[in-house]
Amino acid sequence: MAKITDKIKEYTRPGYYEKFDYHWTMSIDLDRCTGCGACVVACQAENNLPIVGEKRFKERREMKWLRIERYWEGEYPNLKLKFLPMLCQQCDQAPCETPCPVAATYHNQDGLNTQIYNRCIGTRTCAVYCPYEVRYFNWFTYTWDEPLEQQLNPDVTVREKGVMEKCTFCVQRIRMAKDKAKDDNRRRVKDGEVTPACVQSCASEAMQFGDLNDPNSKVSKMTKNKRAYHVLEELNTKPSVVYLQKVEKHD
Amino acid sequence: MSISVGDAISSFKIPILMGVMVIFGFGIGYLINYTFFSDRSPVQPINFSHKIHVTDNNIQCMHCHAYVDKTPSAGVPSVKKCMGCHKAIATDKPEIIKLTEYWDKQEPIPWIKVHDVPDFVYFTHKRHIKAGIECQTCHGPIETMARVTRVSSLKMPWCVDCHTEKQVENGRDCVTCHK
Repeated sequence: MAKITDKIKEYTRPGYYEKFDYHWTMSIDLDRCTGCGACVVACQAENNLPIVGEKRFKERREMKWLRIERYWEGEYPNLKLKFLPMLCQQCDQAPCETPCPVAATYHNQDGLNTQIYNRCIGTRTCAVYCPYEVRYFNWFTYTWDEPLEQQLNPDVTVREKGVMEKCTFCVQRIRMAKDKAKDDNRRRVKDGEVTPACVQSCASEAMQFGDLNDPNSKVSKMTKNKRAYHVLEELNTKPSVVYLQKVEKHD
Repeated sequence: MSISVGDAISSFKIPILMGVMVIFGFGIGYLINYTFFSDRSPVQPINFSHKIHVTDNNIQCMHCHAYVDKTPSAGVPSVKKCMGCHKAIATDKPEIIKLTEYWDKQEPIPWIKVHDVPDFVYFTHKRHIKAGIECQTCHGPIETMARVTRVSSLKMPWCVDCHTEKQVENGRDCVTCHK
């Protein structure tokens, strides 16, 4: 009996890690989100995302690692609009990781659901398995016109045709923060040192980013909020993005 | 009656000979390419010698590659830095005259990159230098080279072997090096 329970424990612990070194987590307060879309633009600029154009957009081949979903409620005079920024949830039990035939996507020790572009062979299975629809496939090799290639971020690869891509929680910024911490002879990154592009650009500070393993970080406090929930929690994917419910007046 | 292999292949003599010659030709071609035209040791626009600078004149690596412990890239010195010394030193040598021409035109020297990693690799000199790795560990006996030759393969197994051996923290995690 003990053996069976051990087995169950082994298979239910996040990503087969006993404990993550860092557990990078993002919290999004939907009560503060105004749906301005600054995060979408920031993500686009930071991560070398191409502008696919109208034709490709109609073919549903747009590339937006972070998109704002709109939910309309009610009829015209009492119309309500709700926003939900949807990005890769960095699930601790990610459905996208298991089907990859080449292990191009896997869970690392920091609780990140990583995507290694040069390893990806483009089977697109992960995109099918993802319940949040946040994986994007490069159908073409996109190019940047003459002066625009100057604005590409050198810390992020420019992806080629046939490669799956998704939000990385700005892993290049995490890497830089760790680099800085090592320079200062620190073992750990301090809370607030890592800010992904979307978090940095959020005007109403709806988004917070930090380490869940640190009980004093801003994110840990946010996750203890009563309003906190995960999207599609019933799928048991254990997402690393925590949403805080919008406060509404009920009659 | 005996069976001879020679009789059996006698009608195919010419194609076999041609095949052997093609293979031989490819072998020679590969050797010529490897010794003279490979990217391991390309001929640079100016015949710069690390031997003269480092071994003979005792200039430290960091004097020219000033950013090696501060940034990901070590930094190829600017023409201005070269001219800082060569305005006065060895101005009559043919290679220095070439350098002066670049300086007069105010153009950078189009060096050919010998040690290059693909765009999807994040490599930082800073971390390696701060961890106490010698330049020679990866670049070979660079201080004795008249023309820079790549000694290491700079391929992933070569990186991972060293990371494993030195037990680098998260050294085998993909996103440590892949971006």
